[in-house]
Amino acid sequence: MRHGIKNTPGKGSCAARQRHGAGFPSIGVRSILLRLVVVAFVVCLAPGCLADRIGDLTETSVIDQAARFFSFRDESLRYALLGTILLGVNCGLLGGFIVVRKLSLMGDALSHAVLPGVAIGFLWNMTKDPLAIFIGATIAGLLGALTVSAITHTTKIKEDAALGMVLSGYFAAGYCLTSMIGRLETGNKAGIDHFLFGQAAALNRDDILLMSVVTALTVLCVSLFYKEFLVTSFDAAFARAVGFPATLFHNGLMLLLAFSVVIALQAVGVVLVSAMLITPAASAYLLTDRMHRLLTLSALFGVATGAIGAFLSFLESGLPTGPLMVLAATLVFGMAFLFGPRHGVLIRWWRQRSRGHRVRRENTLKAVYQALERREFKGESVTLLELAQRRRETEEEARQQASALIRNGLATRHGTGEQIVLTPEGWLRACEIVRNHRLWELYLTNAAHIAADHVHEDAEKIEHVLGEDVVRQIERRLDFAKTDPHGRPIPSIDDMRRGAGGLFGRDELVGYGKTT
Amino acid sequence: MSELVPPFDWHYVVVSTWTESGGYYGWMALMGFLVAATCGLVGNYLILRRMALVGDAISHSVLPGLAVAFILANLAGGGGVGHGVRSPMVMFAGALGAAVVTTIMIEEIHKKTRVKQDAAIGITFSSLFALGVVIISLFAGKAHIDTDCVLHGEITFVPDDLFVMIGGREIAPGPIVRMAGVAGVTVLLIALFYKELLVSSFDSGLAASLGVNATVVHYGLMSWLSVVVVSSFEAVGAILVIAMLIIPGATASLLTRRLPWMMALTVVHAALSSVLGLHLAIWLECSVSAAMCVAAAGVFGAVWIFSPSEGLIRRWAARRADPPLEEPAA
Amino acid sequence: MPMADNEALPDPPDTGPDNVIHPSQFDWVKSASPEEVPLEIHDMTVAYHKKPVLWGVDLAVPKGKLIGIVGPNGAGKSTLIKSIMGLQPLSSGWVKIFGKPYRENLKRVGYVPQRESVDWDFPVNVMDVVLMGRYGRLGLIKRPTRKDREIARECLDKVKMLPYASRQISNLSGGQQQRVFLARALAQESDVYFMDEPFVGVDAATEAAIVELMHELKEKGKTLLVVHHDLPTAKEYFDMLLLLNMRVVAFGNTAEVFNVELLQKTYGGRLTVLSEVAEAVKASQT
Repeated sequence: MRHGIKNTPGKGSCAARQRHGAGFPSIGVRSILLRLVVVAFVVCLAPGCLADRIGDLTETSVIDQAARFFSFRDESLRYALLGTILLGVNCGLLGGFIVVRKLSLMGDALSHAVLPGVAIGFLWNMTKDPLAIFIGATIAGLLGALTVSAITHTTKIKEDAALGMVLSGYFAAGYCLTSMIGRLETGNKAGIDHFLFGQAAALNRDDILLMSVVTALTVLCVSLFYKEFLVTSFDAAFARAVGFPATLFHNGLMLLLAFSVVIALQAVGVVLVSAMLITPAASAYLLTDRMHRLLTLSALFGVATGAIGAFLSFLESGLPTGPLMVLAATLVFGMAFLFGPRHGVLIRWWRQRSRGHRVRRENTLKAVYQALERREFKGESVTLLELAQRRRETEEEARQQASALIRNGLATRHGTGEQIVLTPEGWLRACEIVRNHRLWELYLTNAAHIAADHVHEDAEKIEHVLGEDVVRQIERRLDFAKTDPHGRPIPSIDDMRRGAGGLFGRDELVGYGKTT
Repeated sequence: MSELVPPFDWHYVVVSTWTESGGYYGWMALMGFLVAATCGLVGNYLILRRMALVGDAISHSVLPGLAVAFILANLAGGGGVGHGVRSPMVMFAGALGAAVVTTIMIEEIHKKTRVKQDAAIGITFSSLFALGVVIISLFAGKAHIDTDCVLHGEITFVPDDLFVMIGGREIAPGPIVRMAGVAGVTVLLIALFYKELLVSSFDSGLAASLGVNATVVHYGLMSWLSVVVVSSFEAVGAILVIAMLIIPGATASLLTRRLPWMMALTVVHAALSSVLGLHLAIWLECSVSAAMCVAAAGVFGAVWIFSPSEGLIRRWAARRADPPLEEPAA
Repeated sequence: MPMADNEALPDPPDTGPDNVIHPSQFDWVKSASPEEVPLEIHDMTVAYHKKPVLWGVDLAVPKGKLIGIVGPNGAGKSTLIKSIMGLQPLSSGWVKIFGKPYRENLKRVGYVPQRESVDWDFPVNVMDVVLMGRYGRLGLIKRPTRKDREIARECLDKVKMLPYASRQISNLSGGQQQRVFLARALAQESDVYFMDEPFVGVDAATEAAIVELMHELKEKGKTLLVVHHDLPTAKEYFDMLLLLNMRVVAFGNTAEVFNVELLQKTYGGRLTVLSEVAEAVKASQT
């Protein structure tokens, strides 16, 4: 038997039978590790370099250049690409926690605060020694974090101002040092300059080694202590109450953050590192509701935008890599912001718009039903004029609404075109709406004791969203009443089905009140 | 090491600066003072409204506005006239445009999605700043913008700039006159709108009931902030201006809680950091702008330690005394 | 007879701690085994920036009771709970759970914090949150097992939230969020539960469900301490009441403690509350 009645899935057994998986990221993180291994494999087995410097390359088309870039054939490019991949993973994973813990600006402050450390590390050997720079930068970063903490705990100065002061104060000190270094004849100024806006092409084997170690550490910590980081991020008080040292994990996260900032410096630059921490993670945040998926997506976005940024910089060798990576990441964010399936702004607007259309269609159907009812269901066509009067619209608007019904298969034109007749499906839906409306009005007046003249507005809204289950419950509650508070008949489901069962030709249109 | 850090010769660093090259260094100190004072005064409101980092965001994100404005002006004006293209109107237009875009972007992101305000600020300013750097790098020639200068400023160039003529007499280098103008207008605006700014910073409910439109004040503040920031670029550049915005006000807040006094102390701090920074830069032979910011931070540090009411020393002494807890009244 | 100026005032009569209903309240503790004393607090003082929030709190709680903690805003009710669990440092005094310090008996304490203490936009679903209740038993690094998931499902079922297990937590109503928190506490499988204002902003159905659950737990021999914000219902829901205003004003069976005099003492003459109090007392006496 043709139902044609929409069945909204109940909240009973069907849902209970679903798997309630609280997935743990063993899968996501392991796959990241796997990818890293593959990359390392490829790198080690790849043939030796064919070009020592980027300047040796002569391909001109973008496709060819892309192929060259991503195929790991050139040693210097290989390092650039590998470096950005590593930093993408690292920043992506940590960024996930930074964003959900609202520490974005701490990341920014840290990234600026490391500059004096970089300068001092540089001074250590008068050359770009990755380890010395790493240690110097980490110490500076941690000192910066401590300073912020000290300021907020010992004065009334709020955290945002403290972050701003540390950010700019340390950065200024760092810049003083770099300008002093630039003065020196032995000072490799170009090397220091790369730290401001990043130049992935300047990465060498030692850098990559350091980055791999730090990334491996991050991946290890995040996967081993996932649940600890999760619970301390979500509800630190509860975490402490059950015995987890929340402060310790916070400090650990800060330390990993400092490491992450430092290794990303060369590729992205001091000023924009925080963007690589925040933006991919924020994009992921908009696309998923589960933490482990957020981390995976964030790492993926980090890798993708890092690689794209490096590639673009390679195409146009005058440009620093940092800004290009950030722009790529922001583009991804923009897409997620607009088109994200669940939270995307445009998607939500579209859904609201369709919902609006559906509501208007249903109101028109209701008007048709009421017009027919007025005539005691004599004749089945309704003129546009009647419709316009019922809905209190102009004839033009009624015509548009009628066209919408016809487009959706709920009505057809009749005769000269100024009249419409409901199709079986349209008829059923019209009955449903009227039934929902009148049942709800009755329910409100009887069960909730609301005055009969107050219930119409409410019913106008509810009628579009009542599900099948709820309607049946209400019917039962009201003892299958036949009339609404205004004395009009309520079509019952059986009535409608009886009517629908006989609907195959328009001449045999049968509905409530009609006879076969 | 002595190559890096020149020996400190009192006479050379401190005395001869004023006795021999007073005119030259004087302008620098004056510019630094004007910049620090103006930024500091506006920055006080940022601190009060807990918008220090929105200020940071605006200071970074005016960059693309500036770049685009200059390029457009160049295209329209045709051919560079060197510094001439850097007309204040073009700069301000670019800055204002960028400020509006920034504010709107931040609001849209954190109000329409579950991304929180801190991440929204970070995403906005970093993307706009990146855009600005890319535009400048690609079109540097056409925009007549010196990348380094915009990013870190260089006060040393100020005294060499063209002097502004008024009534046939040379008054001061162009940037100083411009900055003095901005400073003057800032003081005027603060004096005129003192009540509105105060009320909307502390109690938006009260503000609304008094007929003060908090949104207008907010956008107005952001717009004027961008103008101030852009004017300060010459002296301190995009990255260091945030120091001048926050540090003077924060230092003042450690010494007093009353706004008028905070404003006054901000100006004093500006003067101190400007002069001390100048001497620091002469000694270390480093960037003057950065040195002034370091000096500003140094003054903050000194006040932090020695402040009579909130300083660290005072706290340590209080803890040493460690009075027992007082029993609360029944 | 008028006293000379330099004569010392006579000692007040010895009625034990001034404000407590039962002067011999702590005698039973001395003869009880640790298992019968889920919570014992001695002279607890908690200060925040040198300003006292709790002063000299003495408390001994018998097993298997539903205890409500009431008092005006700022009375230290939440602080009391947090200090018991070591989330806030004590300036003086000690706390014992079943005769041992809190840190040693962590697993026996369940916690339901205030709903607003958490960011509900966090990317976790209902099941994730309830599973967190099992973390205490897992220790570091270990992942939740199948058994843990089953227990979490059972707890969700008890609060009637099982169909929502895969839903992200921001898509829940206030009452549903509270139930999730409750399920998490149940998953801890503890013997004494601390709840911080669990009835704030929940619908009537959820409130009734929570009370029912509380009674079920009590029947199983669990002890519950609940910070409560609504006086009239406090009389209904709880066996014993702790009247708190920085100090313990009174602690005892509801029927004996819930009277105008003590409530006035607790709420200290705040007019709006006094009228509530008067209404509540009147209502309870009809």
